[in-house]
Amino acid sequence: MIEKEKLVKVFGAANVSYERATLDEYSRDMSFVNTVRPVCVVKPANAGDIQKIVNLANETLTPLVPVSSGRPHFRGDTVPGTGGAVIVDLSGMKKIILVDRARRVAMVEPGVTFEELIPAVEKEGLRLNMPLLPRKSKTVIGSILEREPVIMPRYQWDISDPLACVEVIFGSGDEFRTGQAAGPGTIDEQWAVGGVQKAPYGPGTASWHRLIQGAQGTMGIVTWASMRCEILPSLEDPFVVGSSNLDTLLELSSWLIRLRMVNECFILNNTNLAAIFTKKWPKDYQNLKDALPTWTLFYTVAGYEYFPEERVSSHIKGITDITQRLGVEAVKAAGGVSTNEMLKVVQRPSGEPYWKLRYKGACQDIFFLTINDKLGGQIGVMNDVVEKAGYPTSDMGVYIQPIVQGTGCHCEFNLFYDPGNPSELNRVRELSALAVKNLMAKGAFFSRPYGESAGMIINRDAATVAVLKKLKKIFDPNNVMNPGKVCF
Amino acid sequence: MALSKEVYKEFEDVVGEENICDDPAIMPSYYSTEFAAVILPKDTAEVQAIVKLCNKHKLQFRPICTGWTGVFPKGIILLDLRRMNHIIEINEKNMYAVVEPYVISAELQAELMKRGLNFCIKGAGTNCSALLRGHGHMDQTTSGDDRNHLAIEWVTPEGDIVKSGSLGSSDEWYCGDGPGPSIRSILTSAVPPGVTPGVFTKAAMKLYHWPGPARFPIVGKSPKYTLSEIPPNMMARYFSFPSVEKMWQAELKIGESEIAYELMGFNAAMVACNITTCNEEEEEVFGRISKEVQGPGFFIIIAGNSPEDFEFKKKVLQKIISDADGRSLKSVENPETEGILLCQCIRISASIRETFRAGGAFNSIPVMGQRDLTIKWAIGAGKAKEPLIKKGFIVDDGGAFFGWGVEQGHLGKTEIFCKFDPLNAEAKAAVEGWQKEQSKRALKERYFANTLASDDEVEHEIGPSLSNYHLWWRKLRAAIDPNGVTPGGGALV
Repeated sequence: MIEKEKLVKVFGAANVSYERATLDEYSRDMSFVNTVRPVCVVKPANAGDIQKIVNLANETLTPLVPVSSGRPHFRGDTVPGTGGAVIVDLSGMKKIILVDRARRVAMVEPGVTFEELIPAVEKEGLRLNMPLLPRKSKTVIGSILEREPVIMPRYQWDISDPLACVEVIFGSGDEFRTGQAAGPGTIDEQWAVGGVQKAPYGPGTASWHRLIQGAQGTMGIVTWASMRCEILPSLEDPFVVGSSNLDTLLELSSWLIRLRMVNECFILNNTNLAAIFTKKWPKDYQNLKDALPTWTLFYTVAGYEYFPEERVSSHIKGITDITQRLGVEAVKAAGGVSTNEMLKVVQRPSGEPYWKLRYKGACQDIFFLTINDKLGGQIGVMNDVVEKAGYPTSDMGVYIQPIVQGTGCHCEFNLFYDPGNPSELNRVRELSALAVKNLMAKGAFFSRPYGESAGMIINRDAATVAVLKKLKKIFDPNNVMNPGKVCF
Repeated sequence: MALSKEVYKEFEDVVGEENICDDPAIMPSYYSTEFAAVILPKDTAEVQAIVKLCNKHKLQFRPICTGWTGVFPKGIILLDLRRMNHIIEINEKNMYAVVEPYVISAELQAELMKRGLNFCIKGAGTNCSALLRGHGHMDQTTSGDDRNHLAIEWVTPEGDIVKSGSLGSSDEWYCGDGPGPSIRSILTSAVPPGVTPGVFTKAAMKLYHWPGPARFPIVGKSPKYTLSEIPPNMMARYFSFPSVEKMWQAELKIGESEIAYELMGFNAAMVACNITTCNEEEEEVFGRISKEVQGPGFFIIIAGNSPEDFEFKKKVLQKIISDADGRSLKSVENPETEGILLCQCIRISASIRETFRAGGAFNSIPVMGQRDLTIKWAIGAGKAKEPLIKKGFIVDDGGAFFGWGVEQGHLGKTEIFCKFDPLNAEAKAAVEGWQKEQSKRALKERYFANTLASDDEVEHEIGPSLSNYHLWWRKLRAAIDPNGVTPGGGALV
């Protein structure tokens, strides 16, 4: 265990907490992982502080759990997996280090939230490729490192996007910069010659950033990250297409992305759309849900600097050819909610309360990657599981996000429940574990294994686990970084 | 160096007597080194068995597929993967193709175009392996570098079969990352030294929409092919600009407007080599178009998904070119020349005419990443070529460099090379000196660090200036190749 005096010396007394109430906040989240109270919480101010705590952890074999986003947490990855842990709370590191319009890149510290970064990039004529309605306390780096799907798949060339470069303190205590940021020279020296930290690959032939993404803090602690940004459109025209036939909407979205005609593009079922857009709870929720089609595809057509109206109209004509072939119609509202309102909402973090908590106060997400051909069967499996568990199928939210320019999709089931009702809670907990098992049998790929099911997921691929363990041994030889998570 | 009869027999039992050779008269046809044997496995199982045997007997091996490059220490076993030449799957809906190592880009692209799809053809040329990592002419719309691989099947240096991403968990090829941190971080096929040890036996590649015809209407005969007509909604032009700054402004706006199917920052010399069929003609055309261009420039292909889309893109292009005082090269407006360039840049990936024909060899400094930054460096590197041109050591290309935008200008690549006669020792030394000097300047002035350097340079200069990546990579190699059977990486070009 690291001595308190040493921590106070590094961080200052105000940034080290042993208070029971504070520790309790970090000891559990809204997932079903076991409650484990950390020993203390430290709040670093910079990369130097982070390197010191990692070195101290190695000297004393103390587990470290990095946390950047504020509460509530949902996935168990920030709850200690073992006793004696120190929480490294990065939420106070809030510098927006760089926004560069010409190179379409931004660079931030780990505590910067979407709400803080969006106005800064917009001021420069840029925008972020956002996840769908992150909670207000969600940090940009937290989201990017988790490979959270983004709502503009056309701009997701690679699954690691929009991540560009990171500076990381590996579990070994060594500092490392990935991609173009690696060097030569310091970051200041790179800026002086006109360089920015944009190209993600390297140094050398490895793509080091891919090792840090998806690791849930088990490889090291990121002290800043840069990310690619997109140009802010000068004209946007949003549409929805409703249908009871999901396959039709999947085919439509495939073509829209393949032909690069749309920016935002995702599908929600009526439960989720109502959960997001109901204004007066609880009375309007059911009415809105009933007024919505079973499935709604949302997309935006955009114009930029040159002849934006012509670009938009050319794309709309192209899209109309496809919708007519498929026998569906693009419209400007669903259930009385205009598409302009929808666009405004999805381009920002969620309002308060967080949209997943509005209906019943808690939500368990089950998400995986798949391809369109398998999606119908997987939704069928999920419906079977929830029905058999006695959970109302109509209460289950579904979010389908095409990823990586149409090479696959993220499918997410949102199980809303009342956390104060033990029977509802237990039902969701039990059905979640069963659902993961049955969905895997139906070909679902749980690329981001969290919480109670992580072991079941990752053990399926023993060969990959064997390689990952070799890598872990190199970058975190004493296993001080978030032990108990992923497969470590 | 030869294998003992017993060991040879063990390998022969795996692949059959037809697919193994240790004949000293035949093996040098691959490379001028003394191989212990050349083995031609037919599938993943055979590769695995061979790798296991190499570990058992502590024998070093290197795989090659189409074989552009490679470093082969004496006594090494060569795995020639030419029998692994199958297109396993083309998934049109989910836009990926799965290939074995010896599928060449030309054949995959021909199949894809029938389905309205295309993929990143690397600058090494369409006769090279389709599963290569790298950059090419169409990067603007088909991305490049390490960003087109999805799932990969990999036989590790110890002979284990690892399937990355969705392939390992659910037997599908659409994703190469996860569960958890991505082993795609170390699965990379590039030019040695430094590539992933082991053998990639299959890989899924990302595909992209192809708005052009199922097959080009090619007429003529080798070496002069052109198109009988320019396909609908497709156009190729070359624009020159009064200055590098103006050219960059236009390139930037074209990227942001997302109108280019291809944007290749050719110089006049490269236009000349691509549209001519012999050195004499090239020299004559270069002289002519050098007078026609007003400065640096780029070649661009516009391709519309519909007549409306095409008209829109042309209109935007015209505005951007006009704002940057660009001028179209009339020679390229000639439909015959335009057709040659469409074939060269889309179907052939151009490189051979650009690199080998005039001098017989070339030395290059390729730089991936931030286009405007590398252009700044390349201007100086181009000027530094001029004394070599004056002395007659290298082919006169006006001291130019070239490059292009990647992913609609988000990223880029810049490259500069010298073409020379490899039999002229003085010229060769001068080019190597230029290469070394310009790489050192790039490092000193903080533009980039050229990792394609000697072991000594990587150890003492390049590695330490790049977060000591070489030390991490070394640890990583030791961890996945404990018997050291894959020296210097596993070439797979």
